Amino acid sequence: MVKTIAKERVDEITKQTAEPAWLKESRLKAFESYLKIPTPCNRDENWRRTEVDALDLSTLNVVVSDSKEKSAAKEPAVVTEALSHLGKNLPYIYTTPQSVEIGNADSALLSKGVIFCSLKTALAQHADLLSKYLAPENLPTPDFAQNDKFYLMNQSLFNCGAFLYVPKNVILESPVLNVLSSGVETSIALFPRVIIIVEQGAKAEFVNICTADKTKAADASESLSLVNSSIETYVGANGNLSYLDVSDFSSNTFAVSRVYNEVRKDGSLHASTVALGGWQIKSDIQTNLKEPGSKSDIRGVVLGSGSERYSFNTIQDHISPDTTSTINFRVALKESSSSAYLGTIRVSKEAQRTDSYQSNKNLLLGSNAHADSIPKLEILADDVKCAHGATVGPADKEQIFYLMSRGLSLLEAEELIVTGFFRQVVQSCPVDGAGDWINALVADKIHS
Amino acid sequence: MAAQEPLLKIEDLWVSVEGKDILKGVNLTINPGEVHAIMGRNGSGKSTLSYTLMGHPRYSINRGSILFKGEEIGDLPPDERAKKGLALAFQYPVAIPGVSVSNFLRASVKAVRGKEIPVKEFRQELKAQMALLEVKDEFLSRYINDGFSGGEKKRLEILQMTLLKPALAVLDETDSGLDIDALKVVSSGINTLATKETAVLLITHYQRILNYVKPDFVHVFQSGQIVKTGGSELSEELEERGYDWVTQELTPSGVA
Repeated sequence: MVKTIAKERVDEITKQTAEPAWLKESRLKAFESYLKIPTPCNRDENWRRTEVDALDLSTLNVVVSDSKEKSAAKEPAVVTEALSHLGKNLPYIYTTPQSVEIGNADSALLSKGVIFCSLKTALAQHADLLSKYLAPENLPTPDFAQNDKFYLMNQSLFNCGAFLYVPKNVILESPVLNVLSSGVETSIALFPRVIIIVEQGAKAEFVNICTADKTKAADASESLSLVNSSIETYVGANGNLSYLDVSDFSSNTFAVSRVYNEVRKDGSLHASTVALGGWQIKSDIQTNLKEPGSKSDIRGVVLGSGSERYSFNTIQDHISPDTTSTINFRVALKESSSSAYLGTIRVSKEAQRTDSYQSNKNLLLGSNAHADSIPKLEILADDVKCAHGATVGPADKEQIFYLMSRGLSLLEAEELIVTGFFRQVVQSCPVDGAGDWINALVADKIHS
Repeated sequence: MAAQEPLLKIEDLWVSVEGKDILKGVNLTINPGEVHAIMGRNGSGKSTLSYTLMGHPRYSINRGSILFKGEEIGDLPPDERAKKGLALAFQYPVAIPGVSVSNFLRASVKAVRGKEIPVKEFRQELKAQMALLEVKDEFLSRYINDGFSGGEKKRLEILQMTLLKPALAVLDETDSGLDIDALKVVSSGINTLATKETAVLLITHYQRILNYVKPDFVHVFQSGQIVKTGGSELSEELEERGYDWVTQELTPSGVA
């Protein structure tokens, strides 16, 4: 399967939207590369344990919402839930296959030149600013830009998404929210693209939520949908970005995401990604520490159930000297869910005094659950501190006995152990209230 | 009314671990509110008895019975035993990173009492017990036993016993690894615990703790059996004459 997407789709998008010429060029260029690249299969290291074959691209309906963004009439439940933890009245963008709504746009956060809007609006109103990041000659070149069919698919077809721009020395104390809901639709393809720019000395928090209307659960595989996202973050010198991604897709969604982070001199990035559901989630996260003194702290929480499959590929790319990166990825798998984690630490010849840490822990709760963890080190500098570790195993029997001896059932004991397992990495998430929110989301999924 | 029913009645209990017999015919009866001490050398099977009572899956019962409140509990999972009023203070409590002591205590008390306790009421009860055991507030937000000193672990164990108020508290070497000050605090905790409603089975290999906690009965444990039973004077005799004295008394040739 995986029949190709027709060129007409790209033409449709460029025709329907009043996009600048350089973007059309960029889309067509990406599409040409897309056509040349073979579809990945599970023999590829990066695609192990992902079942690409079940996806038939030619049957998918590429959603192009032509409606203009409008003020939200009523706060969606998913937003209300998130705001109850993160703070009331935060600005949000809510995108569904039918509409784009903006909420709390009058927030004081959006002053001093801060821009937070849908990507479509940004392209109409701030094309010059965006061209610095999206024009073909300015595009970043993460690993997946070279040969990743899904990334190129997004670059040619992206049709929704969000844009955050925080000017020099402006501090955003609270997060803004971008929510994508695939609703109850099946057999659709969504290509969101999120661009976050934090200029020199600025500070921002961004929460990205991908969800679906799960009240009408679709039958998996019969009517697969594709959500193929691209997220690009740029942190300027001395800038600071805290990014939180929560993915809770419906059971018929094949979710692919490509995240590219770039951090400049003495800037720092904290990114937490929480994956709680979907038919398959395949995510690549590359962080380029481009200038001296830049730091990144990436955390992952994955809770699988049923036959869900998760595949995360992280790349910590130390390009400059005196850069620091840490990765903490924790995976708990119920029933026959599975996970593959591939973590690369790359240190260029110039990147002396790099300090890099990578940890991936997997808790197997289901008797048919499976986890792979593969570290990959490519170190060319000779003065570096580099540590990595991985564990895969069931919940500790002595811990379970201890908890059960205090009256907790086996299930309750396991739940407590799993929440504790995740709490260690989410509790210190720099977005206020995010730790408790994630704990609550995790508890919900464990109980379901 | 018939005579009072024993709280715990162990009869001819044989237990093995990975095919090896550890307990070889234990008999023990504990009535409500009594304090019993089991003394014996390391490796004599004392801890096996405590784990078996609580239902650790590693230990298989091959013969005999454990009647608790008149009911056979040998096949019950640990949580069911806890709900019936049995509790074990561990010799080596495990750390559970990420799970705070306060969350755990609430979940545990709720499970054992079978109902939700109002937060305020629970807080008050908890603070009172903590004061008694000289436990600091910051204890509550720490992760269970994570980075705890030996003394802190034992205090947390006794704190749990006093909150759960079991009909029978089995204390497995609660005195080991404690300095003299901690021993006094923990002992006073045990004395508060031991009431008409809570019987205590104290497992130890030192007589030391029995200076602070006075047992009604002392049992000497050897090679997987209780070989001698007496009053609290037996522990002093053991302290003076050592475990070899019991061995020699039982096997006149001195060959155990």
